Amino acid sequence: MRPTPYPFSRWSPADNNKFASAEIYFEGRMLMEIMPQEFSSLLEAYPKDRRYALAVMQDMQRQYNYVPREGLEALAEYISRPVAELFSMATFYKSLSLKPKGVHIIKVCNGAACHIRGAVNLVGGIKRIFGIAPGETTEDGMFSMELVNCMGSCALAPVMTVDGKYYGQVKIESLSAIFEALRNEAKP
Amino acid sequence: MIIEIDGKACTCSPGEYLLNIASRNGFSIPTLCHHDGLPGQGCCRVCIVEVSLRDRKDIVTACIYPVEQECSVFTDSDRVKRQRGMILALLRASAPESEEISRLCKMYDAPLYERLTQKANEKCILCGLCVSACETLGASAISSVNRGVEKTVSTPYDEPAADCIGCASCAAVCPTGAISVEENNSSRAIWNRKFTLQLCRHCGKPVGTLDELAFAARKTGVAQTTLCEECRRKAIADEMITAYER
Ligand code: SF4
Ligand code: FES
Ligand code: FES
Repeated sequence: MRPTPYPFSRWSPADNNKFASAEIYFEGRMLMEIMPQEFSSLLEAYPKDRRYALAVMQDMQRQYNYVPREGLEALAEYISRPVAELFSMATFYKSLSLKPKGVHIIKVCNGAACHIRGAVNLVGGIKRIFGIAPGETTEDGMFSMELVNCMGSCALAPVMTVDGKYYGQVKIESLSAIFEALRNEAKP
Repeated sequence: MIIEIDGKACTCSPGEYLLNIASRNGFSIPTLCHHDGLPGQGCCRVCIVEVSLRDRKDIVTACIYPVEQECSVFTDSDRVKRQRGMILALLRASAPESEEISRLCKMYDAPLYERLTQKANEKCILCGLCVSACETLGASAISSVNRGVEKTVSTPYDEPAADCIGCASCAAVCPTGAISVEENNSSRAIWNRKFTLQLCRHCGKPVGTLDELAFAARKTGVAQTTLCEECRRKAIADEMITAYER
């Protein structure tokens, strides 16, 4: 059996064998504690129907930086669909992730224009600073890097976004300053 | 309606799938992703044949091609054989461990493409039959996971699935033997989970897993049996004999 690459949780059970609260661990450290009520409010924002599954999972992604397992299971129960079906959906869409992402998400464009203008060098620069490759997250959980396709601003190539904010004609030398500023800020 | 398959006149009703007509008339078209109980996958493309309609000759996918007009079909023309060989070569690259695909490759002289990398230790062609079997019978314990080149079939989080009943239907429909099932006299292991087998109270042969029988009982509302198929038939026959003797 393959070792599970997903976060695991220690949950304290309540009477009805649901969890009373769950501590989420990932890569050797505790990430957060989740209470079931949090899911209830996320879920109840939508009708009990399969077609809202994606919207609920997106909300979870936004709230926790990933789709927690407890959340996925609670959703399955809420809309009466098998967990396997939701797991399939959650692994299909790039915008959803089953492993926690960093507080700040760096997206480096590797579309044609940015590729030619040296997107790979940016990736290398970020790797030197944080020691992470595309798809990875720093150990302190602050930064994740993703490689994406054309972000529609080719004239500014190479393009990078951090938490949705665009940086154009990025030079490797300016990377450190951008990230330092963010590290000192709270999450937007 | 009458169509012609490899020169033989075959009757069929409009809308019937070409593969069904052909098998009914004794033609053997190779298939991988087709299963009579779970039709419509249509993704392996091994079942291609040539259909001649008016002045056109097209390659179609027999298992999902509904016959609407009179036509002539060629199940083994040179064009079919060549293309089928090519398709099989591609399937072999993605599932080199599958004996069934190797057999078909040999049969259709599949060319060796040096530039294709062979996927290591793989038997699955991602046809989806196992997933649809699991879904159809109502357990939905497995699904396709990830997408593109990373796609696989698995249980949620690759863990022993709570929804799995150990019926092994997925393994039974799999055309390439990609799902491993291990069974001994008392238990069956599948999808990382171990299930206890119910043994026939008469002859001791396995009837199914406990979870499977409980699931069937829940669905049908009929209490689960502890007799195997054969002993059950015998029991009914015995009952009938005694009934008539009286
Ligand atoms: S395991 Fe078998 S049935 Fe399932 S997708 Fe793969 S080849 Fe098809
Ligand atoms: S290629 Fe990067 S923005 Fe278009
Ligand atoms: S058997 Fe027809 S496409 Fe697979």
